[in-house]
Amino acid sequence: MGSDILTREVHPGGAPSGPRRPVDLAAREATRAGMLMMAPAVVTTATLVIYPLVRGFQTSLESGDAAVGGQPHFVGLRNYGEVLGSSTARDATVHTLSYVALAVTLELALGLIVAVALHRTFRGRGIVLAILILPCALPSVVSGVLWRRVFDPDSGLLNSVLEQLHILSQPQVWLAGRGWALAFITLVHVWGVLPLVSLILIAGLQSIPEEVYSASAVDGATPLRQFRHITLPLLRPSIAVTLTVGTVWATKIFDEIYVLNGTALNTRSILMEVYNTTFVNADFAHGTALAFMLTAVTALFAAVYAVTFRRSTT
Amino acid sequence: MDHPDTASTSGIVLEGVRKEFPGGVVAVRDISLEVQPGELVVLVGPSGCGKSTTLRMVAGLEAVTAGEVRIAGRVVTGLPPRHRDIAMIFQNYALYAHMTVRANMGFGLKMAGTPKRETRARVDQAADILGITDLLDRKPRQLSGGQRQRVAMGRAIVREPAAFLMDEPLSNLDAKLRVEMRAEILNVHRRIGAPTLYVTHDQTEAMTMGDRVAILRDGALEQIGTPLELYERPGTVFVAGFIGSPAMNLLPVTLERSGDGWYASVGGSRVLIPPRARAALRPFAGHEVLLGLRPEDFVSTENMRDGEHGVIQVTTARAESLGSELVVYFSINGAAASRPLTARLDRRTAVREGTSTRIGVDLERLYFFDPESGAAIR
Amino acid sequence: MTHSSAARLLRTVAIAATILWSLAPIGLGVATSLSTQADVQAVPARWLPGHATLDPYRSLLGGTSGSHAGGTVSESGAFAHAMWNSASITLMSTLAILCVAISAGYASARLRFPGCGALFRAIVATTVVPVFTVVIALFQLMADAHLIDHKLGLVLVFVSTTTPLAMWLVHNHVKELPAEPEEAALIDGCTRWQAFRHVVVPQMRSGIAALSALVVLSVWGEFLIPLLLTSTSAGKPVTVLIPEYVGKYTTNYPLLAAAGILALLPPAIVALVLNRHVRGMLSGSS
Repeated sequence: MGSDILTREVHPGGAPSGPRRPVDLAAREATRAGMLMMAPAVVTTATLVIYPLVRGFQTSLESGDAAVGGQPHFVGLRNYGEVLGSSTARDATVHTLSYVALAVTLELALGLIVAVALHRTFRGRGIVLAILILPCALPSVVSGVLWRRVFDPDSGLLNSVLEQLHILSQPQVWLAGRGWALAFITLVHVWGVLPLVSLILIAGLQSIPEEVYSASAVDGATPLRQFRHITLPLLRPSIAVTLTVGTVWATKIFDEIYVLNGTALNTRSILMEVYNTTFVNADFAHGTALAFMLTAVTALFAAVYAVTFRRSTT
Repeated sequence: MDHPDTASTSGIVLEGVRKEFPGGVVAVRDISLEVQPGELVVLVGPSGCGKSTTLRMVAGLEAVTAGEVRIAGRVVTGLPPRHRDIAMIFQNYALYAHMTVRANMGFGLKMAGTPKRETRARVDQAADILGITDLLDRKPRQLSGGQRQRVAMGRAIVREPAAFLMDEPLSNLDAKLRVEMRAEILNVHRRIGAPTLYVTHDQTEAMTMGDRVAILRDGALEQIGTPLELYERPGTVFVAGFIGSPAMNLLPVTLERSGDGWYASVGGSRVLIPPRARAALRPFAGHEVLLGLRPEDFVSTENMRDGEHGVIQVTTARAESLGSELVVYFSINGAAASRPLTARLDRRTAVREGTSTRIGVDLERLYFFDPESGAAIR
Repeated sequence: MTHSSAARLLRTVAIAATILWSLAPIGLGVATSLSTQADVQAVPARWLPGHATLDPYRSLLGGTSGSHAGGTVSESGAFAHAMWNSASITLMSTLAILCVAISAGYASARLRFPGCGALFRAIVATTVVPVFTVVIALFQLMADAHLIDHKLGLVLVFVSTTTPLAMWLVHNHVKELPAEPEEAALIDGCTRWQAFRHVVVPQMRSGIAALSALVVLSVWGEFLIPLLLTSTSAGKPVTVLIPEYVGKYTTNYPLLAAAGILALLPPAIVALVLNRHVRGMLSGSS
């Protein structure tokens, strides 16, 4: 046995080797197992998401005759046009945009405060975090229920406290107007979503290495400046996620509105409008059209955020 | 386990094995080698050379693009690992974290449907051999690195495989433990008796453990042979530089004829080329070749002997005392660029940094390489 | 961030405020649920009841009289039945979602077969599709299959809406796990299925706990979908029943609060027991 370069040690009786490309039984087994394992997910998604999505789009392009027992026929984008023209839909859009703007601002501000307070270890941190999560764990319907008593015009706590403090002279119907109603509904929503936002921001804070702060302290930076010039820029990915998640969740506010104010026009979000159109007025065609428009808007928001923050997400 | 005893059908055989990844990256190019029954062959090379990929193709964890793999005479290319009758040790031990040591070791037998009593007996026996009987009821997270590796070996012993594969099993252990475990692995290898393919990046491990060593570079087999063969007769510059520590000095030298003799000019010095080597070097006369000098083949001025040693004028740059020997770094006098030279000298040698001196090189231990192809000139 | 005493004081205040803000509404709910109508309607409103009473709970669960909403009498046992519906639907959905998501997430992460990448991305992409967009056609589909007001219908819908995200979480989790134990199992004699069952699933234990917690919370709290897909109290989960206690003109707050407290107990307990896992998954899914 020599030790020359590139020895080809062919065994004696050297028959030529097997087929050029061996049949890969191992790969076949993996493929079969993989396909079987993914099948349930594929089937449920195809039948219960893709199919209804396509069918729903089709409904949005048809007239609403089915509701009155007639045969629906193709009307193209007429439903979309009518929806855009509808004043209730326009109001609902304004409301939804208000919800989103207010909710996201509050979530970011409060979330940052909570995250800064809670990201370092301290005694009892585990318990505090467990308590923090609770509002997020509850059904949002229940959140609405818990807060409802606060805003009730007759027996509400807000009214009673404000009256006792002589800020109000008579009870206000908070949820009947515009501004306050939207604000309070947003408050209830934020109460439920804040834990998630706080956790995202805490994770972001924890990913900032300590050395960066130490180095800046040596350079003479005050805590406020550190926050502005170090923390915030390095938190950009987390803030981006917060904005995206917050926006998506705010556009979907429904349960809280339903419990606090029903389908009342002054607080109606687009989703509530969809619900009302489709299931209260039994107008499937317009309802679906509106739903698709909302989907497009949400997707647009998400895309805008993704593009704006693409640089900071590694 | 019955193995056919003909050398031609037993063992691990790779024939023209090739691995191409989607996207065109060729990780392994047409490797052919054979591990005889009872033999331990080491696959060694720098990272990215394809040694782990090759091992994984033998194990069945990586698909073979072309070529054939045979174990104990059976063609196993394309078969799932469980049909290959192999056992494998991983760098990260790969123990089943949620099972006890006993369950870890017995898992393979359980999958094969072995009766519980027999499983228990074989696990107990293997644990006894490895000295881990008192660990049998513990979980892996309660064990040290060395203990975990022993459990991994126990898992392999119990299976009584037709081939044994090891993927850098010692790389996660600290230096001291490594030496101890080397002996342990060799014991286990001898006990199992199966042909073993061992992958490492450490050339010391390769030299001390392998019956034969296969050096891989860029997916191709550079050279295969016994450790001594690789050391004494490296086929390429790469092998010459890979085996041996500190690495062989490789100097570009020009060949000159002067009178009756042939010389290699090393800086301002001339080293006589032994007559035996002349024939092979003839085509390179007047050209530059690479001269290889191993650090251990140098002697200090006091120990030089005329006719046995070539003399090189050098200046001492730095000396490191290892206690047992001196590693001295020289620069060659008269060389165009300051060429460094590493030498291992007797520990009593007197060295003075910055001074010019002479060192001798054993004329029987000159290696020549073609600077273009890297091949040894013999 | 410096550790001056001012900073620490501020932090303590923030922590106290966080606790207060998180617990106050719940505490208010508990207090209300132990009050009488008189307590609630008193002027000025009384936070805490004069004498705590369990009557709201009794009428809720006893379910005979106990007027609420627009004056209709609650059907006997309706609330308890709704709690039972919620529990069984949540349990069945969670089991189904776990099975579907874990196998699909594992398959896409480890068993790279041709087409799995595209399938995976396609399924995960449906996460962005808001539920209500499909809900109308889904409603018709369910109606045709006679699954309205049927628990199975709800379970199927929950599976389809939750699986994409769950599968994505599992996929990421599996990618983080070391692959060598699975390879060792294959060498030790396992088929792909056996390796999955004996080695990979046990490796995923903490991830599965977290995922289960998230799924339980998500399904239990679902409102819009069951609102649309259930019609009688036979099929309604508790989230759909509770808003019915809100009257157009007056509301029996103690009863409503008691219902809310009972409905929040199961998810609260899950969140408290598995809170570390939930936290991990929530921040990990960002």
